[in-house]
Amino acid sequence: MKQGSWFAIGAMLLAVPLGAQGKPLTVTGVRGVTFGAVLPGVPRVVLRTDPANSGQFDIKGPKGNVLLSFVLPLTMTGPSGALMPLAFGSSDAGYSTTQAIGSQVGFDPKQPFTAAIPNNGRASVFIGATANAATNQRAGAYTATIILNVTVLP
Amino acid sequence: MRSITKLSLVVAALGMTGTALQAQTNNAAITATASVATPINVVGAQQLSFGNVFPGVNKTVAATDVTNGGRFDVTGQTSTPVTLSFTLPATLSSGGNTMPIVSYTGVHALLATQAGGIAFSPAAGANPTLSGTGALFVWVGAQVQPATNQVAGVYTGSITMTVVY
Repeated sequence: MKQGSWFAIGAMLLAVPLGAQGKPLTVTGVRGVTFGAVLPGVPRVVLRTDPANSGQFDIKGPKGNVLLSFVLPLTMTGPSGALMPLAFGSSDAGYSTTQAIGSQVGFDPKQPFTAAIPNNGRASVFIGATANAATNQRAGAYTATIILNVTVLP
Repeated sequence: MRSITKLSLVVAALGMTGTALQAQTNNAAITATASVATPINVVGAQQLSFGNVFPGVNKTVAATDVTNGGRFDVTGQTSTPVTLSFTLPATLSSGGNTMPIVSYTGVHALLATQAGGIAFSPAAGANPTLSGTGALFVWVGAQVQPATNQVAGVYTGSITMTVVY
């Protein structure tokens, strides 16, 4: 009997962490930010609400708070190492607990943002940006990488 | 002895608890992509030339005059709209002497022959579209009005055309 009690305590202590782990946290890059054709000297804006051109990440994880933080590029790199400035506004990122692009809470992608993963364990993050091509911007294809870090908060 | 075994079990459980409470972190990357179009290039290809003018006799060079009209050649992104704007002098100068230049006219066309050209007012500017090869040709004409006592000499002025997407 006494031995059974000890076992029960041990099982309870084990049950807490195993339960808290729940679903593993996964982050998936679904869609890149696509500026398409950019004219020299003409800024090209992609809104986070743009269903075709905005960037999208999907998050799966345990219900609860997570911390979202981006690693944002300052420039895009093009032919022969040519650079094109890339800007992110204070509301260029959006968080959606329904994963619907039309239902977002905007936030500043340059600042860490605390979000809540809903009961179903799914959410999405959208991001827009502005490409600022100089008037003498070298023609060609430009790319940059945007990284989203997600951390489950205790 | 039995107590030690039980204590070990609890310690092990606590240890696992500590491990599990460490924050989960994950990340993913996406790519931003853009295709920058050809920059605009403008060349002053031909001067606006009035030739000899006589005091008291106005002289006009039409924008349709492909020989004497001023011409700018533009290249850029194919089939893309552009905006033309001009800085137009009100007078030509020869040393300290001036001669009025007025009534500017313009024609833009996709071919250097001016075939299919479209007339416009340089003072108002224009919004043509570059050709399928990214070309545009713009001609400028005007009228000079020498006074009856206009001092003889070579008179010049600068016409500037600005092109933006």
